[in-house]
Amino acid sequence: MELKTTRFGTINIDDSHIITMRGPVLGFEKLRRFVIIDRNEEAAFWWLQSVDDGDIVFVVVNPFLIKEDYQPELQEEDIKLLEIEDDSETLLLGIATLNSHPPEITVNVRAPLVVNWKKKLGKQIVLADNSLEVQYRLQVNIKGI
Amino acid sequence: MLILTRKMGEVITIGDDIKVIVLDIKGRHVRVGVEAPRQTKVYREEIYQMIKDQNQASSQSHFNHIDDILTNFKGIIKST
Repeated sequence: MELKTTRFGTINIDDSHIITMRGPVLGFEKLRRFVIIDRNEEAAFWWLQSVDDGDIVFVVVNPFLIKEDYQPELQEEDIKLLEIEDDSETLLLGIATLNSHPPEITVNVRAPLVVNWKKKLGKQIVLADNSLEVQYRLQVNIKGI
Repeated sequence: MLILTRKMGEVITIGDDIKVIVLDIKGRHVRVGVEAPRQTKVYREEIYQMIKDQNQASSQSHFNHIDDILTNFKGIIKST
């Protein structure tokens, strides 16, 4: 389908790539369908574009890539809700925020978006482990922001 | 909203297997114990607000050069 977005203009998306949320992205309860936009295969960060509202797009990153000791534990009811049968079909996305003043990137590792990639079902899940931060800071040198 | 008055040590039961116990009251602070099955998620409300704020901020991370910054990241990410 064709999708009008603020950030990328009009783009064509494959309907089979649309992820349907089985639980809300918190604060965006009305948005149920998203697509991952990977602008560059080499990029660590991707975009999660809302299909329902072309204005809304999140910056996301694989949390395992930024936090070596990341061990999220999903609860049985979420595994059932997302119809996950195998770890290999599960994709986790940490929602990232870029701030310009001071220049920093933080990633929400406490409440990742968990996606059943095979069935394209997702939910933002608040993990029980309260040592995980909502604003996990990446140590990076950012120029130009 | 159901409103109940409870004294210290008294309990509210929710459903068959959730208990909320008033453990201690000091001035404006109330210590509450929650007994619930393992699969029941019990969080402070603030965590949801923090996550909502973070989601909101992420959806507004839209300044110039963001593509360059993000695409050039692989390999230089080092977590704190």
